[in-house]
Amino acid sequence: MMRAIATDDLRKTYPVVERPWWKPGKPLRAAPAVDGLSLRIPAGQVTGLLGLNGAGKTTTIRMLATLLRPTSGRATVDDLDLVKDAREVRRRINMIAGGERMVYTRLTGRENLWYFGQLYDVPKAQLKARIAELLALVGLEHAADQRVERYSKGMRQRLSIARGLINRPAYLLLDEPTLGLDAPIARDLRAVVADLARDGVGVLLTSHYLAEVEQLCADIYVIAAGRLVAQGTPAELTTMAERQHTVEVSLAAAVDDVDHAVETLAMRTGAQITTGVDDDLRPRYTLRHSADLAGELATTIVTAGGAIARLEVTPPTLEDAIIALADAARQPSAVAS
Amino acid sequence: MVTAWATLKRNWLVTRRAYPWSYFIGTLGPGIFTVVVALLSYRAIGGGRVSAWFGASSGTSDYLGYVTVGAAALMFTTRMVLWVAKAQITEQREGTLESQMLTPAMRLPYLLGVAAQAFITSILELCCLLGTALLLGVRLPVPDPVSFAAAILAAFVAVFGLSIPISAIMISAGEAHITQNTLFCVVGLLCGFTFPAALLPAPLTFLGELLPATAAMRVLRAATLHAAPIQQVTGDLLICLALGCLYAAVGLLVLPHAERRAITRGASA
Amino acid sequence: MRHALRVIGAEAFKQHRRMFGGPLVVFSMLIWPALQLAITYYTMLPLLETPGIGERWPVAAQPVRLLAFLATGAFAYMFYFSLVQSAWHFSFERISGTMELLFLSPASRFALVLANGTGALVQNTWLAGCFAVAAATASGSLHVAHPGMYAVAALALVIPALAWGTFLNSLLLFSRDSAFLYTLLDDPLWFVAGVRLPLFAMPVVIKAIGLAFPLTSSLAVLRGALLDAEPLSGVAGPLGLLGVLCLLLVAGTATLLRIGEARAQRTGSMQLY
Repeated sequence: MMRAIATDDLRKTYPVVERPWWKPGKPLRAAPAVDGLSLRIPAGQVTGLLGLNGAGKTTTIRMLATLLRPTSGRATVDDLDLVKDAREVRRRINMIAGGERMVYTRLTGRENLWYFGQLYDVPKAQLKARIAELLALVGLEHAADQRVERYSKGMRQRLSIARGLINRPAYLLLDEPTLGLDAPIARDLRAVVADLARDGVGVLLTSHYLAEVEQLCADIYVIAAGRLVAQGTPAELTTMAERQHTVEVSLAAAVDDVDHAVETLAMRTGAQITTGVDDDLRPRYTLRHSADLAGELATTIVTAGGAIARLEVTPPTLEDAIIALADAARQPSAVAS
Repeated sequence: MVTAWATLKRNWLVTRRAYPWSYFIGTLGPGIFTVVVALLSYRAIGGGRVSAWFGASSGTSDYLGYVTVGAAALMFTTRMVLWVAKAQITEQREGTLESQMLTPAMRLPYLLGVAAQAFITSILELCCLLGTALLLGVRLPVPDPVSFAAAILAAFVAVFGLSIPISAIMISAGEAHITQNTLFCVVGLLCGFTFPAALLPAPLTFLGELLPATAAMRVLRAATLHAAPIQQVTGDLLICLALGCLYAAVGLLVLPHAERRAITRGASA
Repeated sequence: MRHALRVIGAEAFKQHRRMFGGPLVVFSMLIWPALQLAITYYTMLPLLETPGIGERWPVAAQPVRLLAFLATGAFAYMFYFSLVQSAWHFSFERISGTMELLFLSPASRFALVLANGTGALVQNTWLAGCFAVAAATASGSLHVAHPGMYAVAALALVIPALAWGTFLNSLLLFSRDSAFLYTLLDDPLWFVAGVRLPLFAMPVVIKAIGLAFPLTSSLAVLRGALLDAEPLSGVAGPLGLLGVLCLLLVAGTATLLRIGEARAQRTGSMQLY
């Protein structure tokens, strides 16, 4: 048996104009949200799913959570079919979505967990201990018997995380789990996710915080317009897109010779150049190039008689890579895969 | 006055764009069903007749007219309260109460603006009820125009006055559902809308007299069912106006406290 | 089955924590119905002392009997309406995002909607139930053919009400405008079911519509068994109809849940209509 969530050519098309259920016929117009995705989310590691807004991340996660049915393609969880064996799949997975009110406010934290424990059929003998363990894990022991309506936003979110773990899911689907969380709580959550993966849980993570993804994910899928555009480790992805170092230099004062010299340098190396003024109204040059041109630029300016007031180099980031890959995907001829 | 006009216009636009159909059906329904039940029971239970004492205590033997005017007045009351008393808690729920309170505008013109728009809408809605009653075969006599206009003014003042303290209760409790429905049941029982209030035990009759809607009902019935001239209803008219203004004054007095409480609670939640 | 029972227990507990002790229950299940009952009684009073009332409607000859007639109507209506209210609250879970969590779990959907109705019924009606029993005993208005008829009356009220609640839960779960359904099921329901009027006073069309609602037959059994000392054979007709309605409601629930969830999975929206 393969211990993984695997999808094969998964597609989801929302009927944009839906006929009422009593009227037969095909939906009137369709927009593909996920378009032939094949992913593998193995147990025991965190897999990232990245893309710009509207790329199809949430639709993918909700299909894997059985909340949405794929239009075509196949998805399995430990070889169980996501559609045919939905009930058994639900026992093995759970989902945590950030920034949502996903708990009952009139119940206490402990009662919320007990309630969902019943729904997941967690063995009675284990449930009490499991609840205590989860409350400790998310640091809510002191507030366990308070009604959730008295919880802060961060506490509710932490309870929602505990809820997502109540059935000891073999796979955890995390949709922007740290959205709106304070930095220390987000850090704790990342530690919990890393521990879960070490203990054998397969995690799928979408997040806007790329540092989080870089830190946690062993493998990342990048999607755009519902299609896979790249896959690899964070380091691989960073180098996959064209490397763009950005060098920004401000001069103490304007010097004509420097202007000429910098333009010559840009022309010779093929760097993209932008000129302007910075916030203190000093002349500023910005050069973008696959190589780091900081040293050469500094030498050129000083040789031409200029004085450097500020110099900043921005190395290529995962974020640049994602944006570049997504941009490339918009032009069909340039799709990388 | 500018505030009242601006509020009227704002509410008019909002109502035109998103008319609250659920509320309308929810208030028209009880009105129509009250008339229909009266009609059916008048025929099948009363055999087309009414007890002799009814004429003595209500001043009319027209049971259907009596109930229809009462049902219409109750619908008017319900609708006005839903608009006026709920205006501020709706602002609170939509998050605009604070922006309201930041402005130097006074509460009275604001509430009058809400009430003016509510009045126009409610009168149009009332026509739906009266039209339905007419179709069902209920016939109402032609009222005396002057006392009828006075009766409508009395009803407006009575309900407007009642709505302001209710608004204060709603925003300070952060709750509208229980308050409004309890109010509808209480005025329905005490103010003699569908039966003569004199039938109630004496303490309840006394409590009913403390509500401005009771006197307003008497004026309205005299004007519509007996075509009574204005001189005959002056006493009740004055009682109704005095009570309505008293309620409004008390309401305006407690409203600032209620608003502060609402804001404090909103901040701590 | 064991899992389904756990789901029912948990859901009922959730209802309990949400509703119990809240003022809404006391108001909507005790104070409003009592005030409404008084209004109905007083509105009907002018029609009672009319010539020939004894033949037209013997119940109306004595105020206590009339009050008992109207009170049973109010009581049974409250039973059914508490389920409309609970289904309405249940539909809020869709807006608050918790509905999705229920569908994420492997719990049986039918058990969930059934439990929600059961929970609501127990939470809402026990208080009014106690009052009703006390009032009926004190007023001496009960006329029962056989002690077993108390059980028949209770079952004829509770079981169809549960089937009704289960159906409503699934109906409102997928409805776009649950406030509208709520309104639709309030006044028209009491009117067609004969809550405030004897059935003989109603036109045939209304009576026919009323038969489609289980409240009508529940009320016929309740009044027949408790007020008119009817034996089992005397209420066999409405009991049979209740059985058929219950089956239809259960089948309707199962169908709605299946179609609703399938549609939600297809469109990503939980609104069926």
